[in-house]
Amino acid sequence: MADNRKMWEELGMNLELHDQLCEVLPQAVGDVFLSQENRPDGMDYYDMVVADIHGIRPSELIAHQEKGGKVFGTFCVYVPDEIIFAADAIATGLCGGSQFWVPGGEKVLPTNTCPLIKASVGARLDRTCPFFRIADMYIGETTCDGKKKAWEILSEDVPVHVMDLPQMKRAKDVKAWAEEIVTLKEVVEEFTGNKVTAEKLAESIKLINNKRKALARLYECRKSENVPISGTDALVISQIAFYDDPARFAQMTNKLCDELEQRVKDGVSVVPAGTKRIMLTGTPLAIPNWKLHNIVETSGAVVVCEEMCTGTRYFERYVDESGETVEEQIDALAERYMGINCACFTPNHARIDDILRLAKEYKVDGIIDVNLKFCNLYDTEGYFVERALNEAGIPVLGIETDYTDSDAQQLRTRVSAFVEMLNN
Amino acid sequence: MPDIQHYVLFPNHDNAMRLYRELKKLGVRAAIAPTPRSASKCCGVSLMVEKEDLEKIQDIADQKDIEILKIAEVEKDFNPHRDRYC
Repeated sequence: MADNRKMWEELGMNLELHDQLCEVLPQAVGDVFLSQENRPDGMDYYDMVVADIHGIRPSELIAHQEKGGKVFGTFCVYVPDEIIFAADAIATGLCGGSQFWVPGGEKVLPTNTCPLIKASVGARLDRTCPFFRIADMYIGETTCDGKKKAWEILSEDVPVHVMDLPQMKRAKDVKAWAEEIVTLKEVVEEFTGNKVTAEKLAESIKLINNKRKALARLYECRKSENVPISGTDALVISQIAFYDDPARFAQMTNKLCDELEQRVKDGVSVVPAGTKRIMLTGTPLAIPNWKLHNIVETSGAVVVCEEMCTGTRYFERYVDESGETVEEQIDALAERYMGINCACFTPNHARIDDILRLAKEYKVDGIIDVNLKFCNLYDTEGYFVERALNEAGIPVLGIETDYTDSDAQQLRTRVSAFVEMLNN
Repeated sequence: MPDIQHYVLFPNHDNAMRLYRELKKLGVRAAIAPTPRSASKCCGVSLMVEKEDLEKIQDIADQKDIEILKIAEVEKDFNPHRDRYC
């Protein structure tokens, strides 16, 4: 794969440092994915994406730029990709899910910042991620204090536009978010030189809705008594959704779902009957953060749902496709995106309702409320989450973790005890 | 004796996926994997295959004009309990 090295060099990446990441990826993929038995054939596409994660998609993004197109990097499920694609640009996820990038972030951020933010900043400043090098502009948002300051640091190195997300969900807040989307449209139009028309926006709303529908279909399969796909495999699909070409992603995920639905009909399961079903709720698990899923699924349980940004928050609810003017379409976008229930909102009762609803839909035996270290918002909201689950009689385990491997044994002990308790 | 896993390495992912699809059509076992570092310093897609299929795989690649860089032997070492993540 000599071409990758040439591409990385041209992107100004620190190849020596990046090599250290390349060093550990194959073993981690082998341990977490290739060691699994009875995986669906349709996972081959996602295996390919992960195997060359810093090669295949980056080269497509560069090809787009060579034709005059722009690439926008995003970090959050509130940023409406529809606007970006409607301007013939590409949106790509930039979330950092590896401990490898954290020290680079800690050079400029306080240590008590969440690992997701530290990894994102480190990936850019250390020049060790092609996606962070390729993106012409980053679109940030105000979903937490750590991110707000991180954008200021990143904006010294790369153009950044920050969307001001309201923190309440009153009608005037939805209206304010619609205005923020209008501003984003203007920024994107100016940066790309392309107009976002009603026709283009209608196309991109369909494009992104189709991606959501494919993910919803995947999750629907996971509700089955027979679990046709491991939680770890489903997680990596959700993670790839942030980076991949949306149309191809929907096509490949629908193809996989054909196979999964057949498995459901045939009673094929990746775990023995009676295996305890776990839902994870909490902070996002950005690629390549596979630690907790792997621990749960090698401790005698199976993950059937994630109430997370890398999960149901990303795909549930569609944007209304009936809008005929850009104004109507933007109102529909604001309505859909403000329906996501992130802990940055106050109050946020709807997230508790979501968790209780999903627990029923996915027939879960227990819930793990997982929070990235130093994420004050989700950690604090855990009080309400755990209280509601206790009241509903749903067993819950609260976990705080980061990207390091150092707490893995402790996590194994706690998860195993939780699963054992569910089994008794 | 450690278990040996055979990896087919390619100059790019297009060749890897073309061969993968051909093998699937013919029912030859293959799995897509990241190229192990001990096999090559370059990241990318490789195929994990069985030793007894190697000759057949080389023939198929020749027939279909698919370029193979090399076939590497690597000690099979998958351990889901290792807890060494990226």
